[in-house]
Amino acid sequence: MTTGTMFLLALMLLIVALILYCVAVYNSLVSLRNAIRNAWSQIDVQLKRRHDLIPNLVETTKGYAAHEKGTFDAVTQARAKAAGARSLPEISKAESELTGVLSRFMAVMENYPELKANQNFLALQEELSSTENRIAFARQAYNDQVLFLNNKVQMFPSNVIAGMFAFRTEGYFELEDKAERDPVKVSFG
Amino acid sequence: MFWSIIEANRKKTVLLVVLMGLFLILFGAAIGMAVLGGDHYSSGLTGALIAAVIWVVMLLTSLYASDTILLEASRAREVSRETYPQLFNVVEEMVIAGSLPAMPKVYVVADPAPNAFAMGKSPQKSHLCVTAGLLALCSRDELQGVVAHEIGHIMNRDVLYMTVAASMLGSVLLLSDYFLRSLRYSAVRFTSRSGKAGKAAGKSAGVFLLVAVLLAVLGPVFARILYFSISRKREFLADATSARLTRYPEGLASALDKIGKYPGSLSAAPAVTAPFCIVNPGSQSLSDSVMSTHPPLSQRIKILRAMSRGAGYLDYLKAYVEVTRNRAALVPQSDLKDAGHVDIRAPHDEPFTQPQVEEVRRRAGEIIRAMNDFYFITCPCGVKLKLPPEFAGREATCPRCGRKHEVKKPDAGTFAGVLRSTAAMDSPRQAREQKVEIVPGKWQSISCQVCGHPYEISPRFSGSRLTCSSCGSVIRFSPAASEGAQG
Repeated sequence: MTTGTMFLLALMLLIVALILYCVAVYNSLVSLRNAIRNAWSQIDVQLKRRHDLIPNLVETTKGYAAHEKGTFDAVTQARAKAAGARSLPEISKAESELTGVLSRFMAVMENYPELKANQNFLALQEELSSTENRIAFARQAYNDQVLFLNNKVQMFPSNVIAGMFAFRTEGYFELEDKAERDPVKVSFG
Repeated sequence: MFWSIIEANRKKTVLLVVLMGLFLILFGAAIGMAVLGGDHYSSGLTGALIAAVIWVVMLLTSLYASDTILLEASRAREVSRETYPQLFNVVEEMVIAGSLPAMPKVYVVADPAPNAFAMGKSPQKSHLCVTAGLLALCSRDELQGVVAHEIGHIMNRDVLYMTVAASMLGSVLLLSDYFLRSLRYSAVRFTSRSGKAGKAAGKSAGVFLLVAVLLAVLGPVFARILYFSISRKREFLADATSARLTRYPEGLASALDKIGKYPGSLSAAPAVTAPFCIVNPGSQSLSDSVMSTHPPLSQRIKILRAMSRGAGYLDYLKAYVEVTRNRAALVPQSDLKDAGHVDIRAPHDEPFTQPQVEEVRRRAGEIIRAMNDFYFITCPCGVKLKLPPEFAGREATCPRCGRKHEVKKPDAGTFAGVLRSTAAMDSPRQAREQKVEIVPGKWQSISCQVCGHPYEISPRFSGSRLTCSSCGSVIRFSPAASEGAQG
């Protein structure tokens, strides 16, 4: 074997290794993108669930607190806005608003002890708080995946392959929730 | 992230399993050399082979049949979403939080002692059981903490590893028991053979005998200690996972606190399920010893409550080191480099209160009855009839007012009533008292002023009181003015 063939062989090996590496990175990028889509659809399902619950909630509580018209209108409007939102930042903003309005709505309803004995209301309350939890958990899972993808897309050397196949960084799904910001809730009386 | 924890977990457990397996084979070889005559190598090999075969058989049985056997043995019954909406919601939330590939099957065990356990060797096919007592005792946040702990066991593949470890422990126990027994009956044979075969052979057989006896006596003790220490480590990790998933460590801490204060223990759960339970089934006094599957409750609670800055794995490990003063961390820090910070969320419930034992027992009884298709009929006189399923289609007579009731299939509202009474316990019951005047000698229709539940009141209620069966408020019946003047 001459030096020439040796060199050629080494070069071929190097090229094969490089191709294998590219394939691995490409595949991991694709699977991350799919995981993000999957996580987003989970969030979407839960947001829809929340939108479906709100008319029921309003209907059930109306009879008990008819004069809280402003609160009812605020919830209905926030829901309509959230249901109409299309882009990610829009959805983020509208859903954060809806979360805030809903928690205020539930706080107002706390003042009606008759409601606490209403079976429908209690079932809806349970469904609503479960939905809020699910949104929070699904959001966390989604953002974890986005972090992974963004790291891959921006860091060397995987960013070269990501650039070749037009993988882009994804936006985080943020919900501004006051209750989440300050965890300590102390109430006297 | 979760998978680095799972990966670290797997490495450690594989190491332990290999160690235990080596010990088992060594032990088998020593017994073989001591018991079987002839060439040391071949007898040692035979002994090791027998030990390995025993282990494999035990492992396969426990891997393929354990779920069904254990679920049967603990009297767990699969339940539906319609009957336990809150439990299902909580489980589903945790499935989303942990990104499990499938929803576990949910079971309720008809036992008033609060406990929970998970079964299933893979996250694809798992089972999650809670007792009626747990449902009766815990608020929503606490239930979430407990369910997250069990989901943690499923995510970390604890059930698979503990099944493997348990089968090894079983094999060691079986072998040592067999050997010590055979020794007692064949002591004569050893001495006679060693005498015949010459001094040197007799001496080496004696050495092997000594080693085998030593291993037979100490082996089970070590195997047990090892097994229980793996189990305890898993509990800490499942606690950490619970805090991470719920982002609310206080939920689990408070649940453990309540469970610890609750007298009585789980009777139906077989001892093998112990490593998968939320707390040790059986007496809590044992929980401090090395022979316990669970770390002391007080320590677990202290660690969870020391997590003041965040709910992530790193926060749990910091609190763990702080409380136990054990520098050997549960998981190497390098596996947690991208664990990230997780904020603690705000509680959903009212402040937690320890309910009365009788109250929990009563509620648990109600949940068990509902599970067993009992019929609940609220008689207009205020008595709540609880009828076993045999009463279907028959007529029941109220013991107080003598009214006849037709027993028909309960509607969905019946169970909601049970759940509501559970939910009402979360907030201290507000004793909203109402006063109703009794018209002498006349039945009258009233409705509860809090929830509007209708009641038909007999004049005999004069001067007594009634607890509203649907909202729990108290209605007092004052005697009418004229009656008061007469009596």
